[in-house]
Amino acid sequence: MTLALASLLLPLGTALLMLLLRLRSGIWVIAASLGSLLCAGLALHEVIEQGVQTLAIGGWRTPLGIRFELSSLTAVLLVFTAMTHLLVAIYAQHSRHSHARNTDYWPLSGLLHASLAALWLSRDLFNWYVTLELLGLVAVAMIILSGPRAHAPALRYLLLSLAASLCYLLGVALLYGRYGVLDLDLLAQASEADHSTRMALLLMTVGLMLKAALWPLHLWLPAAHSSAPTAVSALLSALVVKGPLFILWLLWSRVAPVDMTESAGLLFALAGIVALLAGGWAALRTPLLKTLVAYSTVAQLGYALLALGLLLRWQQSELSVALWLFVLAHGLAKVSMFLAAGEMQATLGSKRVASLKGATQTMPVAMFAFAVAGGSLIGLPPSGGFVAKWVLLQPLLLEPIHWPWALGVLLGTLASAAYVFRVVALSFDRADATPPDYDPDPFAQWLALLPAIAVWGLALFSQPLILWLSEASG
Amino acid sequence: MSGASLYLGLGVLLWLLGLHGLLRLRHPLRRIMAINLMGSGTFMVMVALASRSGHNDPVLQALVVTGLVVAVSATAFALRLAVAHQAHRSRQRPTGEHEE
Repeated sequence: MTLALASLLLPLGTALLMLLLRLRSGIWVIAASLGSLLCAGLALHEVIEQGVQTLAIGGWRTPLGIRFELSSLTAVLLVFTAMTHLLVAIYAQHSRHSHARNTDYWPLSGLLHASLAALWLSRDLFNWYVTLELLGLVAVAMIILSGPRAHAPALRYLLLSLAASLCYLLGVALLYGRYGVLDLDLLAQASEADHSTRMALLLMTVGLMLKAALWPLHLWLPAAHSSAPTAVSALLSALVVKGPLFILWLLWSRVAPVDMTESAGLLFALAGIVALLAGGWAALRTPLLKTLVAYSTVAQLGYALLALGLLLRWQQSELSVALWLFVLAHGLAKVSMFLAAGEMQATLGSKRVASLKGATQTMPVAMFAFAVAGGSLIGLPPSGGFVAKWVLLQPLLLEPIHWPWALGVLLGTLASAAYVFRVVALSFDRADATPPDYDPDPFAQWLALLPAIAVWGLALFSQPLILWLSEASG
Repeated sequence: MSGASLYLGLGVLLWLLGLHGLLRLRHPLRRIMAINLMGSGTFMVMVALASRSGHNDPVLQALVVTGLVVAVSATAFALRLAVAHQAHRSRQRPTGEHEE
């Protein structure tokens, strides 16, 4: 547990020191992310050796105190968060196009890292409210780093995020009024299917779905994510929307009474399929490159929602492995896609998809990164996206009555293939290639390729990963 | 007991009023005020729940205090952002198209 706390406190301390001493150098954040990654890795090792660990903060026991819990899933998420932050920090420091050098990006990214780590560790409804609020405020502050043009989408995101938090908080108040506890495990033991529990869960679900941009509450995401600086877009899509999803998953799989989960599961699963199709369709139609990648996030979150819905409907806890595999694979692929898209957009001098004409010739490495990451989003074997889809499809294919859901997954796959191939096909049109405005930045492009390769490597590593994730869901 | 349920009902009403405002209004300042109304409604529900059983529940009151701190900082940030947004728009207006 000490190591997990160190993984949380290192970025927090660095960010606060940077704010206090007015330092804006990226080296400190890179060092803190590296240290946090090491601590998270050691914490994962500790959990595998010794099992789940809990900490009562300040020595106060539940129901009064706040409990931190380090499960293997939490440790995997801590490692994933630190790894993503390290990679994006190196990109932000070294790329000529990141516009992050010596800006407020650095302390903010440290705060983002710390709020996410606190969210993964908390098991207390009100503490989650505080971490959600921190996450939302920091995310908005990072979006407006790209200048006045981002103010309108950032303001819209901020207001919706605050309203969503208050929705969630009202639900928390109702649950506390009914049961008198805020700790997740105590609530799970006490919860019953009555009106106030239903109302509270409905309010909390709406708030969390709005924050996680789950269909049909996703409309703020494309504008907010595509107007942010490239490094921030990568962090937002890969990590920030996954935080509320984590709370939603814990709430419904632990606290919600069984006779409520069945009908809610059906709604979640249907919303997931619609998200896959609607997000895919919007990504296919948009003229702007970063908006395409942002809509692809909406679509890919549909897989997570589908896995959550089916998990609740059939009470099959193995499906939560599929959910978290989707989250990890999507996170890595999306970092790669946003960094590649940002580099191509800055070098080719246009935000439009059409400017990628002939990009395989002018910017081969970045385009390769985009295509490789896209392959994992489609779910081509043997990528991380394929492993996640395989885990999801196995229980679907076992019984013929579940085959319609498999059809939904197939349609989603076709939709993601369509928007990835839209870009890839255009980039092979070398007859009249768009010439680069500036010299391409090869180091940044290779850096964008790194997570795409990692997501394909996830398949080789999938056996221990599935084992860790299934231990956490049991 | 009836006093607590009165405040509970009023709190829910305030929350709904705030939500209605957020969905219907367009001006950033009005929307920020709507959010604050939602926040006040939530806190009123929490305080009413705290005093429901005769003696005051200190946990809920502590939560309200924490929530107030969060709400004040979030409102300050939202106001600053709204001012910056308005300033940017009024600089653009002479050349740009008419706003909605």
